Amino acid sequence: MGNTVSPDSQKSAAQAVADAASAIEGVEAEVVERSSGTNPRNVVVVSASPESWRFLAENLYSEHAVDHCSMVTGIHWPDVEAERRWEVVYHLLRTGVRDPPIENGLVRPMMANPTKLRGASVPIELEIHVHIPDTTTPSVDSVQDIWVGADWNEKETWDLVGIDFDGHQGMRRVLQPHETPQGFHPLQKQHHLRYHGFEEMYDDAQGFMRKPADVGKIK
Amino acid sequence: MAEMWISMGPQHPMTHGLWTLKVKVDGETVVDTEPDLGYIHRGVEKICESRDFTQITTYCDRLCYASANTWSHAYIYAAEDLLEVEVPERAEYIRLVAVELQRIASHLMWLGAYGPDIGNLSVMVWCLREREMMMDLLQELGGSRMHYNFPRVGGVKRDLPHGFAQRARAKLKLFLNRIQEYEALFDESTVFLVRSQGVGYAKPEEMVNHGVTGPNLRAGGVNYDIRWAHPYSVYSELDWAPPVERSSIKGADCYDRYRVRVEEMRVSASLVLQALDKMPGGADTYHEPEDPMILAKAPTRAPEGTTGAHHFEDSRGESMFYIAGGGEGRGKQPYRVSIRSPMFITIPYAAKCMIGYKVADIPAIMGSFDPCIGETDR
Repeated sequence: MGNTVSPDSQKSAAQAVADAASAIEGVEAEVVERSSGTNPRNVVVVSASPESWRFLAENLYSEHAVDHCSMVTGIHWPDVEAERRWEVVYHLLRTGVRDPPIENGLVRPMMANPTKLRGASVPIELEIHVHIPDTTTPSVDSVQDIWVGADWNEKETWDLVGIDFDGHQGMRRVLQPHETPQGFHPLQKQHHLRYHGFEEMYDDAQGFMRKPADVGKIK
Repeated sequence: MAEMWISMGPQHPMTHGLWTLKVKVDGETVVDTEPDLGYIHRGVEKICESRDFTQITTYCDRLCYASANTWSHAYIYAAEDLLEVEVPERAEYIRLVAVELQRIASHLMWLGAYGPDIGNLSVMVWCLREREMMMDLLQELGGSRMHYNFPRVGGVKRDLPHGFAQRARAKLKLFLNRIQEYEALFDESTVFLVRSQGVGYAKPEEMVNHGVTGPNLRAGGVNYDIRWAHPYSVYSELDWAPPVERSSIKGADCYDRYRVRVEEMRVSASLVLQALDKMPGGADTYHEPEDPMILAKAPTRAPEGTTGAHHFEDSRGESMFYIAGGGEGRGKQPYRVSIRSPMFITIPYAAKCMIGYKVADIPAIMGSFDPCIGETDR
């Protein structure tokens, strides 16, 4: 019974990470109490400038054992003030997973006891918001080499939202067809879902409505 | 020997869906791989931006046809975080029953599909037989066989029907006996052992760095599980522990991943039985739909600036939703919905795992990671 991480230990662990992260220039961090169903949970919510993001990521990975990148989300905000027209949200986890020890040539499974975890081994979750000012070519530093799990997340974010990642190796379309026109990123807000009218690729993904380039010009 | 690229897919038994694995081979040895996804990209994230919060559940069900309930629940928890809803405890228990039954059904579907992958054809029919029992139970809850649309923001659609607890107990008891039959069918099959043991090694630390979670990670000898690390629902009230496999020194192979899923079905069955016993108000009482015991009142609007997120232990790993409020109609619709699919991250890693093995090992390795392309392509 009660074999889950307690909210109190989670809160103190989250607070320690938030305090350390706030010391970095351009970074503001706080612990926010959220809920999931009937359970309270504590999330480290961080706001970082694009310049400080790469340093913050390295710091979290090496100093605070944040070892898992869950998700990278890109958001296009065309209607807000110019300083935050683009946003990248990173969801990170500290899992505390280590390769299990080997004794006498056999692996001894690593069974973490959730009620006894303390300090830097308590699992925590982080939500990092990076705001990018208004530009036609938004980009932030890639963290592909820190968390390999961010690799395909970043590819997807560029593919669907159009936010580029500096230093990302092997950027390409992953969910959309490879021949998608350059500059078409469907989750940008100028693209609307439409069921009539065929100007946009979304409506004509199958190519039934495509016409030759010289249609109407030759007899 | 000359190296060459082979395209496996989009129609190939190894793919378990619709995608292409490009394999570079040197003779029979795999030297490089590259997955190519997106064949069934439906743009669910974009569609969600023009739907009300209550309408999105339907799309989440359709993310994965083998594990619909876990996906709609993952969305509902994120939406409840966004809309700040307190869920009745009885509803949490009913949700746990639905999710864990779905986990069993999903693992049975995987086991049934994995057998034919590596030359054990009869197991498919056996697994679908037991999956039928789970589908019947889920059908009693949600009303349909595949896409249940069961959870609601603030609770669940319906209470447990009359006699559900009794039928669930009987079926799970039968099922727990029959798991031993599968184990006999697999563990005593030389073909299965030869093809699954010693291929597709994966180390836990590497897996976490690559974003691989869930049963695939626990097969490597660590007990990390979102259900205890970031507790949701009522897992803290029940007596359980995630199953962990004692892997070999090189890491988890395909056989370990098979073992951990079979054990996980036992744990899920035990969780359902416990939840039926401990449910507030008792599992045999029935409340009408929209009764405050099973459905709390929830707001329908989320103004701009509000966000909701939730990590969820899906059958295949960590699934996650992130929702930003403040879309059309003064926040009646979300501004942005982002979905983390465990398989979208795991498939590139599984493709890396194959390097160095033979071409004939590819179906064994890929199948053992339990790919589901519906959620991968979204």
